[in-house]
Amino acid sequence: MKVQKNGRVARFRPVGRQFGFVVLLMALAGCGGGQSALNTAGREAASIALLFWVMLCGAVVLWLLVNGAFYYVSRIAPGRLDTRHARSVLIGGGIVLPVVVLTALLAWGLSILPDPRRPGDGLVVRVTGEQWWWRVEYWPEGAETPIVTANEIRLPAGQRTEFRLAADEVIHSFWIPALGGKMDMFPGRETMISLAPERPGVYRGQCAEFCGASHAWMAFAAVVMPPEAFDDWLAAEAADAVPPTDEAALRGQEVFLSEGCGACHTVRGTEAVGTVGPDLTHIGSRRTLGAGRSTVTLENLGTWITHTEALKPEVRMPSYALSEGDLADLTQYLKGLK
Amino acid sequence: MRAVLLTLAVLAALGLAGAVSVVGLGLYNVSAHAGHWPGVSWILHTTFRNSVRLRAPSMEDAPRLDDPDLIALGAGHYATACAGCHGAPGVARTATVRAMVPEPPLIGEAVESWRPNELHWIVENGVKMSGMPGWPVQGRGDEVWAVVAYLVSVRERMAPALPANDGAGVAYCRTCHEKIGGPVPRLDILDAEYLEAQLDLYASGARPGGIMAQAVSRVRKDDFGALARELAQGDAPVFARDAPRLDGGDGAALARRGNRDVPACLACHGDTGKGPALFGQSQDYLTTQLKLWRDGTYVHDNKMHAAARDLTDADIDALSRYFANSAE
Repeated sequence: MKVQKNGRVARFRPVGRQFGFVVLLMALAGCGGGQSALNTAGREAASIALLFWVMLCGAVVLWLLVNGAFYYVSRIAPGRLDTRHARSVLIGGGIVLPVVVLTALLAWGLSILPDPRRPGDGLVVRVTGEQWWWRVEYWPEGAETPIVTANEIRLPAGQRTEFRLAADEVIHSFWIPALGGKMDMFPGRETMISLAPERPGVYRGQCAEFCGASHAWMAFAAVVMPPEAFDDWLAAEAADAVPPTDEAALRGQEVFLSEGCGACHTVRGTEAVGTVGPDLTHIGSRRTLGAGRSTVTLENLGTWITHTEALKPEVRMPSYALSEGDLADLTQYLKGLK
Repeated sequence: MRAVLLTLAVLAALGLAGAVSVVGLGLYNVSAHAGHWPGVSWILHTTFRNSVRLRAPSMEDAPRLDDPDLIALGAGHYATACAGCHGAPGVARTATVRAMVPEPPLIGEAVESWRPNELHWIVENGVKMSGMPGWPVQGRGDEVWAVVAYLVSVRERMAPALPANDGAGVAYCRTCHEKIGGPVPRLDILDAEYLEAQLDLYASGARPGGIMAQAVSRVRKDDFGALARELAQGDAPVFARDAPRLDGGDGAALARRGNRDVPACLACHGDTGKGPALFGQSQDYLTTQLKLWRDGTYVHDNKMHAAARDLTDADIDALSRYFANSAE
């Protein structure tokens, strides 16, 4: 801020400009990364992105035309326009052009609109929105029992996967922007969306319908894998938990069972069979902890268990007060559940 | 106009002076012997009656008031908490109590003029400026029905004799826990550490329970540990020895595996967990406790608070029945 000779404070336009630039940079940063509808990795997302770009370009052209016309009549040739001329501009630009452009856009838009009910190539994934996490069941073609996991969705590239969506208590919305549009999840009613991911990578899904205090912390990793790698992963995911071998993890398993963690969490192959909370059979190999809240490290596991309610407001899991030794053993056990 | 204002100002000043004399200078005589001015007693009593009538709860939530266990529990509580002032059939009152103003009515007379739901309101809330205290904890109207059941039995001339509470130590606890089933839990299946923790919780009010708050207030805190150890080693109470084992019903699956809303009980209450043992416990007691957890009256354990949140009445019935009637 500068004080001018006459005592007035100079308007700080330069600062405003810098600020605007920073805001623009921040906004543009949203176009990249794992949760961008413009950084597409699937067929549905690609058609949505194409529609977006075409409409953006069209809007820029129309904006230039309208403002050009305005500039022309106000600055270049002010004064009355010839009536005949004016009428043709009004009818042509005000009625004919919008009808033609909008009709063409509608027809084309409908033609490329992804069909959320298109049948998949065999794999069905059931996702239930809970507060605030995702219950995930894989039903490969012909399966009679599902492979249960949580808070992470892996998909084979180049195949179409069907998602059957539901919710437990309130409405959620399932959205992986890099792969396609979103679909609401309702308690007591099944909705469906099918997605065809093409480019392997790690993307981010997020609940897109406000669902309570920890709505913002309800995310998941969406991992698109080459089909063979996916098959290997699914086979590993279907297996029971690997029994712990080192002493700390063995003690940790005892802590897990004696603290009653198994009342809500399943670790397949053990006495822990609860189904209120996420299945933890392979928690150690997941990319995120607490539905996208943090990553699965020993330290984060410890913080999560002892400060659950602080990390995820109104979460159903109570925070646990454990001795340091018990907590260290417990986190070793959980981290080892690959 | 000015005259009116002046009059009002003078009256206000006089009123203020009167208040200062009565409150500040102690002119009002608070002696219990002084009695009320004519008519005041009638106004106070009529207000009391109508206030109770207006606020008495519906009988819908009342349990069966002729349940002998409930009457016995009410009698046990009445013996230490109420009999001193209100007497009981065959129990005389001290001269000092009879000199109270207002004089606490003898129980035989008091119950004549109230309906059970009105008695419930009075026992739960107490009566302002009369010496009648409210229930020692809030939110436990369910417990008050035991006292009401006893009072109804008094009215019907069917009341059991009050238990003698001269026994020290565990004998005092066993007055109820050894002889009464229903709402009273058996203690022999619980471990000493858990029992001692519960005595502390009742004493601090963290676990709200008016009957147990009254009971533990008659025991020295230093004795909790020894008491708990002795109770944990006791014999099975009469009701548990003689009760026929019913079919556990369909609570087993819920207790073992839970469902998407209900955690598996046995993860904590089974062999490996840290929760109190439940098998063989009184069914009524379990039902009541689960409802207290579910409804958020109990919050003294964050795990149980979270676990019971989504229980339905049907779940509670099934689980109580399962734990009460199964050996494992």
